[in-house]
Amino acid sequence: MRVDHTLWTLLAVSLMTALCGSLAAAPPLHQQIDALIEAQEGYVPDAAAQTDDAAFLRRVYLDLGGCLPSGEALHEFLGDTTENKRAQVIDRLLASEQHATRMQYVLDELLMERRADKHVPAVDWQTYLRQSVLDNKPWNVLVREILSADGSEPKTRPAAKFLLDRDLRREDVTRDLGRIFLGRDLQCAQCHDHPTVDDYLQRHYFGLTAFLSRSYLFKDPKSGKTSIGEKAEGDVEFTSVFTSETDATPPRMLDLPPLDDPSPAEELYKTKPAKDARAIPTYSRRLRLAEAMIDDANGAFRRNIANRLWALMMGRGLVEPLDMMHPQNPPTHPEVLDLLAEALLDNDYDLRYLLRELALTRTYQRSSQASEGSPADTASYSVARLKPLSAEQLAIAMMQATGVVDPTAPLDEAAQKSVATFAKMFGSAGQSTRFDAAAEQVLFLRNSPLIQSWLKTEDGLVADLNALKDLKDLKDLKDLETPELAETFYLRVYSRLPLPEESRRIAEYLNAASDRRLAIEQLTWASLVSSEFRFNH
Amino acid sequence: MNPAETKTEPVAASVDPVHTHVVAEYKHQRPLTTLACDPAGRLLAAGAEDLNVQLWDLQSDRQRTLEGHDSWVRSVRFSADGSRLYTACWGGVLKAWDLTADQPQVLYSVQAHQGSARWVGVSPDGRWLVTCGNDLLVKIWDAGDGSLRQVFAGHARHVYGAQFHPTAPLLVSQDLVGGVKLWNYLTGQPEHTFVADMMTGYDKKFAADMGGSRDLQFDPDGTAWASAGITKLTNGFAGDQDPLIVLFDWQTCKPLRRFHAAKNFKGIAWGVRFHRSGFVIGAGAHKNGKGALWFYNRQQDEPFHTVATPRAARGLDLIGEDRFAVAHADGTASVYQMTEPEAEPQTEPQTETEG
Amino acid sequence: MQADRLRQSGKRILQIFLQGGVSQLESWDPKPGTRYGGPFRAIPTSVPGMHISELLPHTARRMHHLSIVRSINSKINDHRQGMLYMERGRPAGDFPYLGSVASKYLAGPEATLPGYIHITTRGLNDQTAAFLGAQHAELTLRGVQPPDNLQLPGQLDPELDAQRESLRRQFDEPFARRRSNAELANYDAAFKQAELLMARKKIFAGEASPRDLERYGTHDFAKYCLLARTLLENGATCVKVTHHGYDSHAENFNFHLEQLEEFDKPFSMLLDDLHDRGMLDSTLVLICSEFGRTPKINTKYGRDHWGTAWSTVLGGCGVQPGAIIGATNAEGTEVADREVDSGHLFHTYLRAVGLDTYAEHDLPGRSIPIGDPAAEEIGELLS
Repeated sequence: MRVDHTLWTLLAVSLMTALCGSLAAAPPLHQQIDALIEAQEGYVPDAAAQTDDAAFLRRVYLDLGGCLPSGEALHEFLGDTTENKRAQVIDRLLASEQHATRMQYVLDELLMERRADKHVPAVDWQTYLRQSVLDNKPWNVLVREILSADGSEPKTRPAAKFLLDRDLRREDVTRDLGRIFLGRDLQCAQCHDHPTVDDYLQRHYFGLTAFLSRSYLFKDPKSGKTSIGEKAEGDVEFTSVFTSETDATPPRMLDLPPLDDPSPAEELYKTKPAKDARAIPTYSRRLRLAEAMIDDANGAFRRNIANRLWALMMGRGLVEPLDMMHPQNPPTHPEVLDLLAEALLDNDYDLRYLLRELALTRTYQRSSQASEGSPADTASYSVARLKPLSAEQLAIAMMQATGVVDPTAPLDEAAQKSVATFAKMFGSAGQSTRFDAAAEQVLFLRNSPLIQSWLKTEDGLVADLNALKDLKDLKDLKDLETPELAETFYLRVYSRLPLPEESRRIAEYLNAASDRRLAIEQLTWASLVSSEFRFNH
Repeated sequence: MNPAETKTEPVAASVDPVHTHVVAEYKHQRPLTTLACDPAGRLLAAGAEDLNVQLWDLQSDRQRTLEGHDSWVRSVRFSADGSRLYTACWGGVLKAWDLTADQPQVLYSVQAHQGSARWVGVSPDGRWLVTCGNDLLVKIWDAGDGSLRQVFAGHARHVYGAQFHPTAPLLVSQDLVGGVKLWNYLTGQPEHTFVADMMTGYDKKFAADMGGSRDLQFDPDGTAWASAGITKLTNGFAGDQDPLIVLFDWQTCKPLRRFHAAKNFKGIAWGVRFHRSGFVIGAGAHKNGKGALWFYNRQQDEPFHTVATPRAARGLDLIGEDRFAVAHADGTASVYQMTEPEAEPQTEPQTETEG
Repeated sequence: MQADRLRQSGKRILQIFLQGGVSQLESWDPKPGTRYGGPFRAIPTSVPGMHISELLPHTARRMHHLSIVRSINSKINDHRQGMLYMERGRPAGDFPYLGSVASKYLAGPEATLPGYIHITTRGLNDQTAAFLGAQHAELTLRGVQPPDNLQLPGQLDPELDAQRESLRRQFDEPFARRRSNAELANYDAAFKQAELLMARKKIFAGEASPRDLERYGTHDFAKYCLLARTLLENGATCVKVTHHGYDSHAENFNFHLEQLEEFDKPFSMLLDDLHDRGMLDSTLVLICSEFGRTPKINTKYGRDHWGTAWSTVLGGCGVQPGAIIGATNAEGTEVADREVDSGHLFHTYLRAVGLDTYAEHDLPGRSIPIGDPAAEEIGELLS
């Protein structure tokens, strides 16, 4: 007996050591990602170099901070010789106020898809999102808040915007729950007339609907405020196109087991439905939705957000379109998606952690310019993809470059209005990686008074550049003036130093100009609308 | 039974909608679109998704087919004495049929409207017919020979229904976008116009309007009328809207009641009738192909009783006071009885009581 | 290069897209009095022996300019896939839309308007150009609303405008080196389209004349047709006008009454005007849809999606007028004669404007036939 016992202990210990050893040896997530990307067929090693420091800094500032690096930040970074300076700047950005603003815009676009305000003012909602990012609220917690808030409490009312501003319309909410939180558009499932759509989609759709079918909008007669009430009874019926059978479905999260109501309590209601009272059932299907959505068993929930964060950083989802995850549309890199989703689960849905790991990958830090002789193949992630600036990134970057705003301080009212104008012109309804350049956007860039006004700003970029002449008395050494001008110009617009060739061309252009101020305006405009500015590269 | 006599008598106490059950079914091979019963409760006529009218004798169950229209018949009405049938079709033609012959003959046939004739109604004295249609007109005809007597122009969209008031020289008509007009057929002038905006909707996605009165009936005492149709249009092209029957006050033209169906019932209310004892019967089609019969009193918007039918209901008419007939989308004309069944209970339809 | 030759020919396309799937039984292939015929009657047309639905009285009087294909079996019942098949002429794959192909081969570099203009109110942002490049992508006009910001900022004259544009290109040129091209080309193409629109801003300036509004009507689709006429007169190569609202799963008959009434008159007026201006010989006129609708009428008085046996209409540009190609069976449940699919139509459309659809796209280093090699044109429509 004793011998046996010792033997077992030994075995256990060695096994433990082996396990711990392997745990300790598990490389960080970003290395695992790179290994998978680079092992996939089609990946071309050395098709593109890693970004240089300036390009990296611009990229990561835009992605994580939503703005350009300042000239000082760039100088400091270029002069920094610390080995892990990239990791340091990633960490600084993730902890910054700008990051909260950036993610506020990202989450707002994802969740509200640029709809007009209805019941909850945008400013309350944005403040809520921003604070959630500052607190690094895990994604599952955020989603639970959003899906369980009923709008009756001032403190949690902003979170109810998702449901309230959709007027709790069953079709809209069901579709958006599927698209935004589960990465699958079930709308076609609702229609009975698409024989190409598998029958199970219909079940998914109606299973999701059943969570909310008892909820309704309640307008408080005193305050006039609309919130969500819920009845204690009622089922969702649907008729299959394929079998013509009608079926009632309890709430159900995709293919997970149906969630039958508990046997009815003695009191069905905490507050009974009445004309002037918001019904609160003892058992709430809607609250059940929040739990079922974020349940660890619901893999679609984390795969969706993993894919969306990947798309945010890499410019394209592992599954595209982002809301078309289904068996007939597999991910380009299935193991990567699995890895990201499980990493989220293991790290309590910490979005900041995942963004950090993604930013640390070689994949993310690869140049968008192919090496000489290599194809610019972005599909395999051998070369980085150009990402169009979001409406907000573009507005802020333009205002920052022209000296209209300093993004480290909160945006003033005029700047916020400009961001809203850009959102209307360049914003897409919901997260998308597609780049559509419309003629009307270009007309806006060319001719709108707003862009013109930024070129005229007092103490702005154009004025600064124009003033450079006055600071110096270099009438006889005119050529020397432009390298400094070109340097300032390139730093502030492109976040990099000009090549000698670029400095020379600017010098030639300005020296030939009769109206120097106007020439600088022209130059600035052309750079702001150039593709190097338009894209995060 | 002579209807003139029963009018003065109280309604039999045994009539109670909660007893509603099927007592007879008449089957046609094409889906029915509308129906009517003659005032004596002897005949039942129905239009269908074909060019004919089906005529059933409720006593002998004999079925006759009236052929002659060149488009679907969408409205049928008997003369007060049951000797004639008036029919109107999508092609805009109005026909009068002599039912006294063994095989009914067409008495006259007129192109009543350019575009569909959506309605034919008979005046209380039986002398006049009213039709309306897609040419935006409401017309009054001499029921005897089909000669045109008056034309009322003023609706801006397709006119869906028109009905004579039981006593006043007025008729009411309703169009696609809820436009309601009261016409005085003595003066030939419109007396009142308003918009029943709860009965129409614009589908933004598909850029089209939906609405109209799918059935229009006066309370026999003339104090109110009811219009059956839709409300809360969300996606008309998929059938997503709620059925609605609005009860309008004759004096004020204000809605007295907005009779609705159960919350999950998406579809159209196709029929409405006033029962002499005060309740209102509605019939409708769910977008899933099933149907419902609703029974309302004047005190609440919810039905006090609902009968689910396995097939969509598309038309409704009373047969005397204890029965009514319903046109179903599977080609069946069902006769329902509102008194307790004599024999063993029917297995269908399932009934449920609400409110 | 066939492009060079074709650009001289001045051929153009007017494409009316009845979005949602117009019912063939309520339009081009009526079957009154049959099991699935629906409530409407057929009426004679200006072509002896040819009948169409009574919902199209104005078009009926002009059918001697047009021909009907009644035997399409596209086998697709999905809106998007059906539309893509119709537009690309291939059941799958990333190929350019008809309008983008027209822009590429019919519109010259000296074109004064974007080559492919789509008038619609619903923004479906499609990558219509595929490998032909973004300059051939559809320019979407939201109804008759002129694009905003057509006017140069006050202080700039065209010369200064050209100067800043040249500076922009100087910035862009080195950046594009060894970078993936699609997004950059897309962005650049938008600048070119904006420039064309600015140069032709007068097109959007005038209101439609009272006379035109009286003839066409005052609703949106009527105004779109008037704008289409203006654009075609001013050198547009392919103008597509989308008319929404045919996806009638419920109330098919009431909705077709509404929608086709709205379509019938302005379309007919536009056809008259093209004819009167002598443009019909060089303008291919198409009335397309993504599919038809089921013969079977559901309990909602609706008809559902139906790619199995449906119709389309085309005319002008030398297409044999007044013809009926193919037929469905008596109840319209299947094609009975001369079955074709969207691939055949695509070949036919482009051959009508003079393009050799068996030739390959003008793309260096790639070999992609313009039309689906598995299909061919409907020869009897092309003289």
